[in-house]
Amino acid sequence: MGKKRRGHADIEEILGRPWCYYCERDFEDLKLLISHQKAKHFKCDRCGRRLNTAGGLSVHLNQVHKENLDHVENALPNRQGLEVEIFGMEGIPTEVLESHRNRLIQNFYQAQEDRRIATGNPLPGQAKEPRKKIKIETAEELKTRLREWRARRKEILANGGSLESMMKSAQQQAAPAPVPAPAQQQQHYPGQQQVPPQGHFYGQAPEGIPARPPSGPPGVAGLPQRPGGDNIDQLIRMAEAGVKPAAEPEKASKKDKKGRMFYDDAEISPEERMAKLPRYAFTAA
Amino acid sequence: MAPATQYELSPPPGDAISALAFAPNGSTKLLAASWDKKLYAYDVAKPDSSLIKTYEHRAPVLDVCFGDNENEAYTAGMDWVVNKVNLETGEMTEMSKHAAPARCVVYSPAHGVLISASWDCSLNLHNVRDPSSTPIRIPLPGKPHAVAASPSKVVVAMTGRIINIYDLQTIQNLFSSGQTELKLWQQRESSLRYLTRAVACMPSDAGYATSSIEGRVAVEWFEDTAESQARKYAFKCHRQPAPDGDGDIVYPVNALEFHPVHGTFASGGGDSTVALWDAEAKRRLKQYQKFPDSIAAMVFSKDGKYLAIGVCPGFETGQEDYSGEGKTSILIRELGDNEAKGKGAK
Repeated sequence: MGKKRRGHADIEEILGRPWCYYCERDFEDLKLLISHQKAKHFKCDRCGRRLNTAGGLSVHLNQVHKENLDHVENALPNRQGLEVEIFGMEGIPTEVLESHRNRLIQNFYQAQEDRRIATGNPLPGQAKEPRKKIKIETAEELKTRLREWRARRKEILANGGSLESMMKSAQQQAAPAPVPAPAQQQQHYPGQQQVPPQGHFYGQAPEGIPARPPSGPPGVAGLPQRPGGDNIDQLIRMAEAGVKPAAEPEKASKKDKKGRMFYDDAEISPEERMAKLPRYAFTAA
Repeated sequence: MAPATQYELSPPPGDAISALAFAPNGSTKLLAASWDKKLYAYDVAKPDSSLIKTYEHRAPVLDVCFGDNENEAYTAGMDWVVNKVNLETGEMTEMSKHAAPARCVVYSPAHGVLISASWDCSLNLHNVRDPSSTPIRIPLPGKPHAVAASPSKVVVAMTGRIINIYDLQTIQNLFSSGQTELKLWQQRESSLRYLTRAVACMPSDAGYATSSIEGRVAVEWFEDTAESQARKYAFKCHRQPAPDGDGDIVYPVNALEFHPVHGTFASGGGDSTVALWDAEAKRRLKQYQKFPDSIAAMVFSKDGKYLAIGVCPGFETGQEDYSGEGKTSILIRELGDNEAKGKGAK
């Protein structure tokens, strides 16, 4: 099979690769997978013999070395069990196959999306559909907008409104034109939310606000504003990658998860404790 | 390859094991110090009738090490005394006496220096080459819990996360000069946040490993350059998922031992497991099947062919009483040729 263009395999190719149930590594072909399993997971650590299955190794250990196999070596924590009989791709439980497949598909699209964002190139097969049209105002349109703005300024000044609020609304109006860079957009979001309703012209203001990127799920909007301000690119990327904002605190709490200590005295050693027991006491003569 | 095996020494000590020591010069003699006030001598090459002799002490024996040959041993005990034991005759000679239980003894055959550490916060330095000399007492900044010697250094781990490193040559010079003030080579703060449990030095003399009561092992290097110090690291180990599924139970790492040939090291913990690690490649080589109880002590034979593992119940926080009677055993693991060999850095 020849190498694909750009070195990115397509999804069928990825899904077709044999992979190891015990460690989730994938291989070029089944033969390699089987020799991997024999070397990494079914090898007897007493005599180096490579067995075909975990069951085979268990029997070998039992008969030759009088030992019991209680887990498969080098396996992922939840895959160490001996209950499943694995040989190559045979014997993998359906639900494990399914979740592996789903994970591959998800990873594949995420990688594709990451590449798209990193390179700016459209997805394969979607090249004709431009992602965003740059809006260029004609001189006529610009003039119309200027006229509208002047009319509104007049109105506000006549009604006793402040010039400051006028400027704010003007900024909002100006935002979409002519080429809004993503970073600029982001800067306006927080400001906008903080602007209190100002008189009757408030109703007009939203017209000029650029729509949020449609790709963002509602979750992203709920993200707290972090100090330092992350740019919108990152938010979008997170949203596209399916990272839910809730994942962050969850991760932190996992890290905080303290195990219970079997012995937790930071000053006195277990031996000193034992030495105090009457059983071991010694009184110097 | 000869099939490697594991067997139990019989009869086992009558109570918890405090220390194990293998004889020098390729002998298969193993000493076990026990809380039942006895020192046990076994021959590991005879699985069926392994016990050679026992040596009765006045109080629980807290540590043991061999002297210059397989018939000479030193013990430290709850009776504050550091004893020299003639393993042939059973004759015991008092080397020195501390003001509190003597916790550790180490002997450096190359320097003829015997060092004992006691909970009275002191070290006693004995010049074994001159039996008439009086031992030199060196005060320590904390209670010592573990001592280990490399070919040129002695590492003393104490309460308060203090680690003192002494140079053996300096100690030897001290004997000949007649002075009593020992200049320490270096003082370090432990890389681990909790009480140090065990120390072991690399046979290559490059560095040492420490372990704590909080399931963690740190590997450090002696060389005091920025590059060497940047290489130090620590990792979590000896933790088991709690039976109720809520987090992990973190066990103390009671025993650390470097393999004398391959330079890899073994750790033994309160979780009843022993693991082999490659300090250079930072990888776990092996985790053995669970042992019947907590690992109290471990030692490799000098040729690296055997690993002796002392198993007895661990002392848990809040425990009111303790007895290792009937639950103590010594397991000998005959290692396969490449069992403890590092795979090389990846």
